[in-house]
Amino acid sequence: MKSTTKLVFATTAFLLVGLLSGCGEARSGGDSGFESGSAKKPLKINGSTTVNLPVAEAAEMLRAGADMEIQVDTQGGSSGGISMLGEGLVDLGMTSKHVSDDDRAKFPGCNFRETHIGEDAVALIVSKDVWEGGVKSITKQQAAGIYERRITNWSELGGADQRIAFFNKEPGRGTWEVFAHWLYNDPKTAPQASFPEVGGNEETRNKVASTKGALSQLSSSWADGKTVYALAIKTEAGETIEPTGANIANHSYPMSRPLFLLSNGEPQGGAKRFVEFVLSEEGQDLVRKHGYLGLADLAK
Amino acid sequence: MPAKIAHSKRRRRWSFTRLSSWTFTGVALVTLGGGLILLLLESLPIWRHSGNSFITGTRWFFRQSEFGAAPMIYGSVTVALIALLLAAPIGIAAAVFGVEYLPPKLRLALKITVELLAGVPSVVYGLLGILLLRNWIYKLFQDFDLLSGDTLLTAAVLLAVMVLPTIMTLADDALRGVSGSQRMAARGLGLNATETALHVSLPQAFPGLLAAVLLAFGRAIGETIAVFLVIGRQDNQWPSSLLSLGPLFESGQTLTSKLGGSETNIAYGQPLHWAAMMGLGLLLLVLVVGITLSAVGLQRISRRHEA
Repeated sequence: MKSTTKLVFATTAFLLVGLLSGCGEARSGGDSGFESGSAKKPLKINGSTTVNLPVAEAAEMLRAGADMEIQVDTQGGSSGGISMLGEGLVDLGMTSKHVSDDDRAKFPGCNFRETHIGEDAVALIVSKDVWEGGVKSITKQQAAGIYERRITNWSELGGADQRIAFFNKEPGRGTWEVFAHWLYNDPKTAPQASFPEVGGNEETRNKVASTKGALSQLSSSWADGKTVYALAIKTEAGETIEPTGANIANHSYPMSRPLFLLSNGEPQGGAKRFVEFVLSEEGQDLVRKHGYLGLADLAK
Repeated sequence: MPAKIAHSKRRRRWSFTRLSSWTFTGVALVTLGGGLILLLLESLPIWRHSGNSFITGTRWFFRQSEFGAAPMIYGSVTVALIALLLAAPIGIAAAVFGVEYLPPKLRLALKITVELLAGVPSVVYGLLGILLLRNWIYKLFQDFDLLSGDTLLTAAVLLAVMVLPTIMTLADDALRGVSGSQRMAARGLGLNATETALHVSLPQAFPGLLAAVLLAFGRAIGETIAVFLVIGRQDNQWPSSLLSLGPLFESGQTLTSKLGGSETNIAYGQPLHWAAMMGLGLLLLVLVVGITLSAVGLQRISRRHEA
């Protein structure tokens, strides 16, 4: 009888230990960023959906060409990239904004290092009915008016009589910060507004395309001109500036932003290899392929 | 003989099944209790900062340190209630049809088919919601001049589809619990199948049916990703009147869609904001646990009824 009891205890204890240690392993997987990318430890990357486009393709090429194991994810956009790198859950973060002093204060254990890989513009995109209704450009005052709910109808911008369905990019997204920076100089001083929110680029494009009178902020490379249309910015002098490559490069288009790969200190091992690949001729071609500007374009 | 009885008693006390069920029940309880305590501790700063107005406050502006969860509680409860209004009649009617009218083999086929629906990952429902349901609702209510297809109603319809299997299969269990002899007696007294269902099975199974609906309610409140994709995630949508239907056709926010969004990332490292997010988690857990416990209680009552 006693031996049965012992057996039961032993089994239960064994099961419990198994359960607990299982949980522990799953968490500690991403902690060390040193030998990542080798056969055993996959290189983990997370962050902005904008940066994800060329990065995912670069990962695809390295997986095949260099036999590296790479996981790319886009949880929480840029701020998700920053916080997951800060917590040591990933080896590289993808961001479409600078790491702020607040972020550095939040993760004192992480020495954020930005590697500039290209430049992108934020476009204000509208649905087809708005574009065909004659609204093709917008001024800074009009954009602020919409954000502060003083302007709620497209007729005030010379379009058809249609309510403006504004989808706001959720806070923490690089796109939103560039937009808020343009209107209010500092995202922190932007008035708090409650609009329906959208997250990733796919979601934004889909929702704007399928809603009448829709407006949202979107990475300009996603504005395809078929389902959603990018408005030009009208300056006070009455000049209209479209988010074209040339206008982004010479910074006459006001809403542009740098794209970064983030690492904790100097990238090591697999992460180093990855960053070097993105900066190489081949990697920069991927950046350009997705409608962004490469580093060489900016130097011109 | 006495010795033998004592022996078998001791054996029962230490049976493997008994011990392991106690152990794992314990693990489950400790996990739940630990979760509650952890969320309570993590959310302490917000209770100190806002007190009750964290629950009753209708404004949520995190940059101004204003945290009021009422619009999200309203969103969660409204969406789940509407979902149940849509799903409960259909689910229970389907269960009645299966138990009272269909031959056993067909009933089983029906049950298995519906239960398969329960296994579809919720993100798939969410994507279907984006692709089909949003636009359908948008066009259907065109005359009401909806701003977009992301509304509380869209989320509720989607949730109704998702909780239908839960309601149907649990209602089926409750109805089958009504003993066959009662049905035989009713039929013997000259009642037809419909009358038997209405006057014998349904009243007898009532606590079980209510439990089915409550468990579905708990599931609906906790659902995240599918709701997240179609509700619009608009903060501070507090209705002018709690009973008005207008907000159903506007975007809103639930506890889960807020927690699933990007704010959780931003809040990390900012004690008060983080505490507020954890407070939302606590409210959600308390809601779900409360509802589930009352459902389980009802199920027990219904079983006692049967016995």
